[in-house]
Amino acid sequence: MEPKNRISDNALKVWRITGFFTSLFGWVITIAVAVLTYFFDWPNLIWAALVIMSIAHTYLFIFLIPSIRWKRWRYEVRESEIEIQSGLIIIKRTLVPMSRVQHVDTKQGPVLRRYDLATVVVSTAATSHEIPALDTAEADDIRYFISTLAKVEEEDV
Amino acid sequence: MSEPKRLHPVAAVSHSLRTLKEAILPIIIFFVFGGNRDSKWDFIELYLAPVVLITIFALGVLSWMRFTYRIEEGELRLESGVFIRKKRYIRFERIQSIDVSEGILQRLFGLVQLKVETAGSSGADQADAVLSAITKQEADEIMLVLSEEKKRRLMDLNDIDEADGESEREIPHRVFQMPFKELFLMAATSGGVGVVFSGAMAFFSQFEEMIPYKRIFKGLGQFVQTGILFIILAVIAGLLIAYIIATAGIVMKYAFFTVKKTEDELIISRGLMERRQLTIPLKKIQGIRITENIIRQPLGFASVIVEYAGGSVMDKENSQVMLFPLIKKGRVALLLKEFVPEFETGEGMAELPQRAFLRYLFRQWIIVLPVVAGCLLFLRPWGYAAILLLPLSAGWAYLCYRSGGWSITGDQLLLRYRFLSQETLFVKKRRIQVLESNNSWFQGRKQLATISATIKSGLGPRAGRVVDLELQDAEDIKQWFSLKR
Repeated sequence: MEPKNRISDNALKVWRITGFFTSLFGWVITIAVAVLTYFFDWPNLIWAALVIMSIAHTYLFIFLIPSIRWKRWRYEVRESEIEIQSGLIIIKRTLVPMSRVQHVDTKQGPVLRRYDLATVVVSTAATSHEIPALDTAEADDIRYFISTLAKVEEEDV
Repeated sequence: MSEPKRLHPVAAVSHSLRTLKEAILPIIIFFVFGGNRDSKWDFIELYLAPVVLITIFALGVLSWMRFTYRIEEGELRLESGVFIRKKRYIRFERIQSIDVSEGILQRLFGLVQLKVETAGSSGADQADAVLSAITKQEADEIMLVLSEEKKRRLMDLNDIDEADGESEREIPHRVFQMPFKELFLMAATSGGVGVVFSGAMAFFSQFEEMIPYKRIFKGLGQFVQTGILFIILAVIAGLLIAYIIATAGIVMKYAFFTVKKTEDELIISRGLMERRQLTIPLKKIQGIRITENIIRQPLGFASVIVEYAGGSVMDKENSQVMLFPLIKKGRVALLLKEFVPEFETGEGMAELPQRAFLRYLFRQWIIVLPVVAGCLLFLRPWGYAAILLLPLSAGWAYLCYRSGGWSITGDQLLLRYRFLSQETLFVKKRRIQVLESNNSWFQGRKQLATISATIKSGLGPRAGRVVDLELQDAEDIKQWFSLKR
């Protein structure tokens, strides 16, 4: 049984925008190499390979990967534990008991802010886990909910 | 014991020496490159040197004078600082372990260094308190007060424990000592030789760039013919020496290894030149790990390691403490029962299903096959030897596959897996920070899954991870861990 909540629809847009910028970077290099090839008579093979790589990169990071990732991402915050599911090819499911949570943060970068989203970060004594791109209001609710429930017993760490 | 106390004056000296050691590099650089011989500032460093030295020692003395410690209201209270006054109060409940060691300087004066470790906070030096030079008697007093205070607090908190406490008191305190034979065997079979050897290799490769071996050898063609034997012998001799050094180092480190168990603490002491003593409250133990490396496993020996939530950034080796550095596999169950009765070593363990082996093999060969193919194509005739890699890696895959296993007894999860050594990790449900399961598409087709449980060890995580167990088993483990009703 999968965790029941999905992350915000806007997450898809955010990931596509990030993907767009990384592939833009790839294209800049490709075009630069193409121009240099023109002037210095480099073998055509190099820029041709780069063009193919850039096209593949663009397709993967703007279209394919964000949508698979979005479909996989699920989470559920219960009173006793937090369950997170993520992954691309390998599906990872994480179970964090509420009594192990040390603290909880929300964070927001410029792109997330643009879409009114925030990422929740849950930290235990040894590890930390993210739930990316939730609506800010929901993220705040979750942060508040977790912080009231999380209390690590003194002795256990 | 509430009036503030100072450390032994030796602390002032050792503190200055430490500062000097840290400052020595900049000072040397200044001396070598700093002076401009032609100017009127000629030899200014000669005048400056005594000033620097005196300043360092004066600061050492001052910081010794400022440093006081006392025990008050269930806290260890330290005050220090020459320019900036620092007060550090550590609650007894927060103390993870007490580490007593004797350096050479301390030994001369019959002193010890006492280090109190708390669960690591963010800063490197914030983590613990160090009393660098106190008499043995004072150290014993502090430890006594700490343990008594703790006990009293426990009694106050819950009277239920009393019944348990009494039955525990009947058990005499256990002592484990490592015999010399096993100490030697442990040193000889440890991987320490690898470290020394790679160090030596790095050293020699430095020379390779400086010495024009090729030019030398060209002129001495005749010599090289006989020389190859010489070189091989030299390499073997070098390896042997590295091996002996590594072994001797470990013998020194673990000599007189002793574990004592009191009511609620383990006291581990070891060392030939530098004695170290470490006290771990049983309550702070996060898990137990049994590790069998590839040389020791066929000999039937294992090491037992305590994972506990203490240690600081500076002192990495302390976060995983050897409980029994080397014991016969058959004795593990009995000794664990005596020293850490919380953990159960049941016999039954679920192993991996047969179809998992193909996945282990696949993961090995996907790396090995291209290598072998490359060797066959480009490195003939010697490349044919690469075919040997196939059965070898298959054998390794089989070993990894055989190691995989898990079991649940009550609130304890046991995971067995192999990375290089075979590891068996015992964890209690309430100590597990995170439980993770992974399913890839390939695993899903074969109804397999990967499970990993993470506990806190030292400052970081320690994960036990079993790859390719039955999907249903993974679900069962998750069900066992989940608190969902």
